[in-house]
Amino acid sequence: MLGLSNRFARMGRAVLTPADAFMNRLYGWRFNPLYHSGALVVALLVVVLLTGVYLLLFYRLGSPYASVANLTQQTWTGSWVRSLHRYASDAAVVAVLVHAFRMFVQGRSWGPRALAWITGLILLFVLMVCGWTGYVMVWDTQGLVLAREGARFLDALPFFGEPISRTFVGERPLPSAFFFLNLFLHVALPIGMGVMLWLHVSRVARAALWPPRGLTWATLGLLTLLSVLWPAGIGPEADLFRGAEHAPFDLFYSFWLPLVKPLPAGVVWAVVLGVSAVVLTVPLWARPRAQRVPAPSAVDQRLCTGCRQCYLDCPYEAISMVPRVDGRAEVVARVDPALCVSCGICAGSCAPMGVGPPERTGRDQLTAIKQFVTAHRPGSQDVVVVACNRGAGGVAARATVDGSPVFGWNCAGSVHTSVVEYLVRSGVAGVLVVACPVRDCWNREGPKWLEQRMYHDREAELKERVDRRRVRLRYASEGERETVRAELHVFREDLTKLKGPTPEPDIELDLECDPVPDEEAVA
Amino acid sequence: MRKSWLRVLGVTTAVILTVVIGALSQVPYEPDRRDDAVIRLAWRVRGTRVEECRRLTEEELARKPAHMRQEVECDGRILPYRLLVSIDDSTVVDRVVRPAGAREDRPLYVFHEQTVLPGEREVTVRFELEREAEPGTASDTARASTADDTPSVLELNVRLALGPKEVALVTYDGEQRQLVVKGYGTP
Repeated sequence: MLGLSNRFARMGRAVLTPADAFMNRLYGWRFNPLYHSGALVVALLVVVLLTGVYLLLFYRLGSPYASVANLTQQTWTGSWVRSLHRYASDAAVVAVLVHAFRMFVQGRSWGPRALAWITGLILLFVLMVCGWTGYVMVWDTQGLVLAREGARFLDALPFFGEPISRTFVGERPLPSAFFFLNLFLHVALPIGMGVMLWLHVSRVARAALWPPRGLTWATLGLLTLLSVLWPAGIGPEADLFRGAEHAPFDLFYSFWLPLVKPLPAGVVWAVVLGVSAVVLTVPLWARPRAQRVPAPSAVDQRLCTGCRQCYLDCPYEAISMVPRVDGRAEVVARVDPALCVSCGICAGSCAPMGVGPPERTGRDQLTAIKQFVTAHRPGSQDVVVVACNRGAGGVAARATVDGSPVFGWNCAGSVHTSVVEYLVRSGVAGVLVVACPVRDCWNREGPKWLEQRMYHDREAELKERVDRRRVRLRYASEGERETVRAELHVFREDLTKLKGPTPEPDIELDLECDPVPDEEAVA
Repeated sequence: MRKSWLRVLGVTTAVILTVVIGALSQVPYEPDRRDDAVIRLAWRVRGTRVEECRRLTEEELARKPAHMRQEVECDGRILPYRLLVSIDDSTVVDRVVRPAGAREDRPLYVFHEQTVLPGEREVTVRFELEREAEPGTASDTARASTADDTPSVLELNVRLALGPKEVALVTYDGEQRQLVVKGYGTP
């Protein structure tokens, strides 16, 4: 199962990587809608909510179809609002699917992220049910077909004393209670979605719930334009005594109709339950084998100064500050392994390099970079590329890019600034750090903190003594190798205007703490 | 590529994606592709309830709590009916309709849709109590009672003229105590 999952994920990345690169080229990474798919869902649902409140004022339980048809005929006060309500809910489905696809192929669905995965699927289900009830409210051909199919599925369950399908046979007039119940569900379910959304983001710090303003307005503007120029139609009124006619159907919410209509309800339930079981258990079967699951971060209490920076930077709220007992400082960091995704962001944010996943702490990074310099011996003409293994045009997997040696690291956001300092002081011409675009970080906030550490004196900052002209931070997704090469080219050009670097023979880095205790002492 | 061209391409892509959403939001679809007419049979009757009762022995009564000591215990159920439908002298349905509920003590529901070619159709529906399951056979203390006045035989013989996609509903009218036709095709 894991092999199959990996294969799916690889296939998915083969689609996502060029799509990301294409969108970055068109809109820049700041406004790439694929990066903001989750936040776009929230923005679209807010639009749906606001337009829904307006539509509710005109909806009549006693004459549902007539009231909606009346709204549809009002070009300026009804039609476009109803269309926007519909198109925004359609776009929300697209955004949810993109978001889920992204999380799956990037392997962000298991471990501490399992809760977000499962609640996300529940949110998608509730969204579909909301759409379902919304179309039944209209009570046109689509509404009747959806209602009948829904009743057919429910009748297959052994819960109802009286078949629900009888409601739609025409034996008696449709009770207004039916439309009231439908309306109640349509209004109540979004409230439930709010609670579920809170749970969905409960394990992340500083959840990005709103897309950038430009992207929000562009999306809203385009959907409004579509609503005005191409308002959503309405099918013929539901007729219990006539077979369903040719009518416009919303594929986003009714895509399954042609598939399930010929099937018995029991078979449909079996398929739905089977598919649900597969997607809900993704956190189980997409999880790497135990030996490949990266270990959570750990805190070396002898090095922790209690500065709280790792606690502030952790994107998953996996670090807490607890009282310490050795009298050195008030508090010490503690990592909750159940919440830690082993992103390593804390390794980059710890000035004394006392926290991080095993073999990826700041001190481990320093050891690695020293070995790298010894092995590659980059000279005064060389630019060293420090690249994120996940993005950065995929250059991290290569030894060099256009002749520049590449130092690949698990996440550029976890790179300690001492690594950059060490490289500059060792006498290389320059250091180009290539991180994933901020909203594309597999570990959420890595590039954001890295940028602040390099240029805005965030704790564990790049020291003042480092010549900033020889350091550059750029962003590139996995599919943007050309961007990396272009940035490298520009950087090299700029560096030629500087004097040659002066290598330091014995580089003393400020570790801001006692030297690392020897192994026996730590033990 | 020049920035201005990228902008044009960006706007074009966004517009195309928006139009695709609009198009997929209203795809013409016909759930019932065929032009067949439908004869829909749908009704609910409470049916005939039978109770099989037994007088408990002294020992059995003694074992029960004082407030539950009823001398006679009854187990009730609804009797099944047989549904026979023929259209133009051809039998299309012949089945036993059993009461709903695990203990078969709920009403009887009939729901069947029969597609037919549009045109005039001679329809005969017969809904008849299953005789072999009549009360009084299982125990000498058994007694039967009817929960409502559902006739033991309901019969309808009608000629329906149905157009394409039209639905004629055959249902039970509790007031008239007979099967009636609603919707299209009524004479």
